[in-house]
Amino acid sequence: MSLNLMILGDNHLSEVLTDKFSEIEDVQVIDSTSPLESNIDVVIETTNLDIEKKKQQLQSVERHVSASTLILTTVLGVTATEAASWLETQERLVGFATFSNLDDIDLIEITPALQTKAASVDHAKEVFARIDKETEEVEDGVGLVFPRILAMIVNESAFALAEGTASAKDIDIAMKQGTNYPLGPLEWAEKIGIDDVYAILVGLNRDLGEERYRPAPLLKKLVLAGWTGETAGQGFYSFQNRGEKEKVR
Amino acid sequence: MNITTIGVIGSGTMGAGIAQLSAQQGFQVVLYDLNQEILTQSLTIIFKRLDRLVEKQKISDVSCTAMKESIRTTTVIADLNECQVIIEAAPEKIEIKRDIFKQLEEHCSPETIFATNTSSLSVTEIGSHVESPSRVAGMHFFNPAPLMPLVELVKGIQTSQETIDILKELATSLHKSPVICEDTPGFIVNRVARPYYNEALRVMKDQIASVEQVDNIMKKAGKFKMGPFELQDLIGIDVNFATTKTVHGSFFNESRFRPHYYQERMVQSGRLGRKAKGGFYSYES
Repeated sequence: MSLNLMILGDNHLSEVLTDKFSEIEDVQVIDSTSPLESNIDVVIETTNLDIEKKKQQLQSVERHVSASTLILTTVLGVTATEAASWLETQERLVGFATFSNLDDIDLIEITPALQTKAASVDHAKEVFARIDKETEEVEDGVGLVFPRILAMIVNESAFALAEGTASAKDIDIAMKQGTNYPLGPLEWAEKIGIDDVYAILVGLNRDLGEERYRPAPLLKKLVLAGWTGETAGQGFYSFQNRGEKEKVR
Repeated sequence: MNITTIGVIGSGTMGAGIAQLSAQQGFQVVLYDLNQEILTQSLTIIFKRLDRLVEKQKISDVSCTAMKESIRTTTVIADLNECQVIIEAAPEKIEIKRDIFKQLEEHCSPETIFATNTSSLSVTEIGSHVESPSRVAGMHFFNPAPLMPLVELVKGIQTSQETIDILKELATSLHKSPVICEDTPGFIVNRVARPYYNEALRVMKDQIASVEQVDNIMKKAGKFKMGPFELQDLIGIDVNFATTKTVHGSFFNESRFRPHYYQERMVQSGRLGRKAKGGFYSYES
């Protein structure tokens, strides 16, 4: 079955999703700058940190698509229920949580908002199956499972780094060799984008109102400086070595 | 410093592992414990493991014999005076460690390095009971010590750089990857790994996902080798809970480290993990 897909959001995940879906026969990825009257089956929206922008983007796209169009939106910074509450037709929104290193990821988490109807969830599963991703349906909560847990691990590493507990390199080595993590938390964050990690923590802190989700001040500074990791060319490692001429890597 | 002889204090799981590892890398080892029976038992376990390495053709018969001969056991603490480095792996009680290091100081030369394998106590505090705290550092091995590649070298406030440098060289000659960290609660691993368990417990008890779902997601989306619940069952839920409580207390109750009540319920129920035939999962067969 052919699928007309529109991807919204000016981040790395949008680019990666665009590339992945463009490779598939029967899938038309419609440029978000083209006129919106075309027959769009699915919208994927990926803004995480700027919630106001996310809201405007979802509301403006809703005005141009039919009431049956499935809307998939990332829930790294908000719940699906909150995102759905911004819409006129709320039962077609499904939240999902993943990072931009999609080649390393076999499974994408999806979640219905309270308002979502079951058929929309099934449709969302089919969409991700097109790019060979297994889906796991979980209950709605900021960051869902993997992004939430990983963000908390990265946050703790950022606190430890900023406090001078150990070097970035030693923190990464310790977690890989002392407890078998597939990547060091700091190199992992640089790979997926420190801005996304920060968006999850800000979202958890805002949504749950608990001090334990307070983002490490270093994360905020890195995001403000635009030092968000690999795609920006700078991150934790350059922060640590900013006084030295040579970078660690 | 030319290190030929390593002293190991305490012949429990960690002490025996460190002694075995040191012998395997060609060091002379003096293994000390208060109790001769426990020493004999530990030595039997070490010898069995070395024999298994011969069976697997990892080491030769000749080197196995040499390794066995390089380990001496003693219940006399003064016998450790010929060691250049002493690694203490006694129970995690500050009074026990304090007394050990005080006694060692009487018998050993002023150059002897005192390393503690503590995972939960302050290296600075342990060092503060010794006349020359500059030679006291943390040398935190991971279980099983002969296999796990990491060693955290912990710098107490009064630990000298020279002490750290010597231990770094020693760790490298034991074929370990040393990392250096300040004397902070949980050091690196036990601190940074807390959210893997704490946050998973919250996600599960808030009904966002089940135990099985969380483990499946962390393995397939995150490529973790084990999910947080499988891993807690392996480590022992009681052991994990104790670490969480210690780190939480040592950070003066900072809320990021607050344990989940359900972790305590699991401990109270006696479902401690694999060793108890069941924890978050059942292990009947």
